[in-house]
Amino acid sequence: MPKIKTNRIKYPEGWELIEPTLRELDAKMREAEMDTHDGKRKCETLWPIFKVSHQRSRYVYDLYYRREEISKELYEFCLDQGYADRSLIAKWKKSGYERLCCLRCIQPRDHNYGTTCVCRVPKNLREEKVVECVHCGCQGCASGD
Amino acid sequence: MAHRILRDHEADGWERSDFPIICESCLGDNPYVRMTKANYDKECKICTRPFTVFRWRPGRDARYKKTEICQTCCKLKNVCQVCLLDLEYGLPVQVRDTALNISTHDSIPKSDVNREYFAEEHDRKTRAGLDYESSFGKMRPNDTILKLQRTTPYYKRNRAHVCSFFIRGECTRGAECPYRHEMPETGELSQQNIKDRYYGVNDPVAMKLLGKAGEMGTLESPEDESIKTLYVGGLNSRILEQDIRDQFYAYGEIESIRILADKACAFVTYTSREGAEKAAQELANRLVVNGQRLKLTWGRPRPEQDGSNQQGSVAHSGLLPRAVISQQHNQPPPMQQYYMQPPPANQDKPYYPSMDPQRMGAVISNQEAGGSSTIDNSGASSSSYVMPPHQSYPPAPYGYMPPPYQQQYPPNHHHHPGPMQHYAPPPAAYPYPQQPGPGSRPAPSPAAVSAPSPDSAPAGSAGAPSGSSQQPPAAASTATGSSQ
Repeated sequence: MPKIKTNRIKYPEGWELIEPTLRELDAKMREAEMDTHDGKRKCETLWPIFKVSHQRSRYVYDLYYRREEISKELYEFCLDQGYADRSLIAKWKKSGYERLCCLRCIQPRDHNYGTTCVCRVPKNLREEKVVECVHCGCQGCASGD
Repeated sequence: MAHRILRDHEADGWERSDFPIICESCLGDNPYVRMTKANYDKECKICTRPFTVFRWRPGRDARYKKTEICQTCCKLKNVCQVCLLDLEYGLPVQVRDTALNISTHDSIPKSDVNREYFAEEHDRKTRAGLDYESSFGKMRPNDTILKLQRTTPYYKRNRAHVCSFFIRGECTRGAECPYRHEMPETGELSQQNIKDRYYGVNDPVAMKLLGKAGEMGTLESPEDESIKTLYVGGLNSRILEQDIRDQFYAYGEIESIRILADKACAFVTYTSREGAEKAAQELANRLVVNGQRLKLTWGRPRPEQDGSNQQGSVAHSGLLPRAVISQQHNQPPPMQQYYMQPPPANQDKPYYPSMDPQRMGAVISNQEAGGSSTIDNSGASSSSYVMPPHQSYPPAPYGYMPPPYQQQYPPNHHHHPGPMQHYAPPPAAYPYPQQPGPGSRPAPSPAAVSAPSPDSAPAGSAGAPSGSSQQPPAAASTATGSSQ
């Protein structure tokens, strides 16, 4: 993921409009990576990473699919350069997964009994209302909630 | 074993199993249980051999539980793999072993290689299909353990553990914290050790339970000495008066049985306090009629009886003939006229009316008139009872009677007028100084069962020396004179 402006990369037009936000999000990610682990649980230390990643990808996805403010070329450029997660956006395009938090939460292999994470269960169907999922700290990413 | 690269599970003696051996409480209230099985996942907490760990959630508000000890260890003590309580009774190992007087304790080695070897040997035998006869299958429950056992599952032990951050005041998780936000229970019971619990040694919960068991075994007698009534609770419609009588007749003569069907209880009144006490002592924790376990306590006085009970201390069923009732009322005064007082107060044997020589027509100088009247009364009263099976009691006890009675007789002099009803006068009539010896000695035998007659003779001679030691010299001389 390029953090430095090199001369090799040719930025498509429209880049200047989105560049500041993307740089900001990058800085946030760096911060999350540098954060100490004090006072946090082991799994909890990774949650900000997932959160920022989601945020970044969401920004790009929104720009292209929802607000339609960037060109396909720029969109593809962002995905290629690593400013957004392609596979996560692929999930967002499916119905029922519009608010998916991360890719780990829907991976049955990662869970006991081959299920998905509890954050995928709608709140009205759950027994305990307040949960933070262990993978990404998500508190509910079902499309209805 | 960790140094080997390739693991040969079979050779190492690691345990595999298909289903855990757990108790109802640990399995939970939900009939739908999802359980994971992980082979060789953890070490057994007792024998430290790897074994198959099963993990499941026993109910909605429960934490996840997993098997803690291997099946080999669990079968050796017949306990649940998770909670280490007995599978049948739900009791700690120490309690069960004490209550049933069994000891698997010594045969299981507890340290190091010895223990691993024993466990492996045992496991191998079981797997090879050798018919290992568990001693637990053959045990028959005794009353103590039936009283102590847990009958319903106890799901409180499946709750989440207490949040240790909350105890320090530092829990940042707030609402989503899955642990309990309560202060932990402190005290003796919190310091438990899994090995101690398993081997049945030094287990605080077991000590507490055994302490309670010791106390609950005894049904205390009420202070009011005139209460001869026992309350029997938990009756159902299948239990008849005859069933109750069957249970209670052995301890003394039953004066009455009154059943209150609407309250599912019965009151059993004995003619003697000793009978009631004996019944209470014997039946307190093991009264079972027609397969129904019943509760037994002392009756409390019922003041609102009809006029038949003016003393107000005993519940009568109203079956008593008037003769009996009048006898009761007259009881204190006539008794005091006698020179030597009455009854045996011999607490370790039931005293039956037939044991009293006076009632059965013994020739006693100043009591003859009383004797004949008592015979009439005994006839009347005995006819009112359905069953005097105690009359046919084995002769052996009778033989023992006289010596203890004679010795107790002087010290017990003062107790008798109170508790004793008219029907239980003293066999200590024997050492009465005013008795003509030959008259009294053979006299009881026709009335009592035949066997005592040979007994009464040696009893008499035994009585003489003891009588002489305790009674006023004048009396002794007459007694000794009469016995020879």
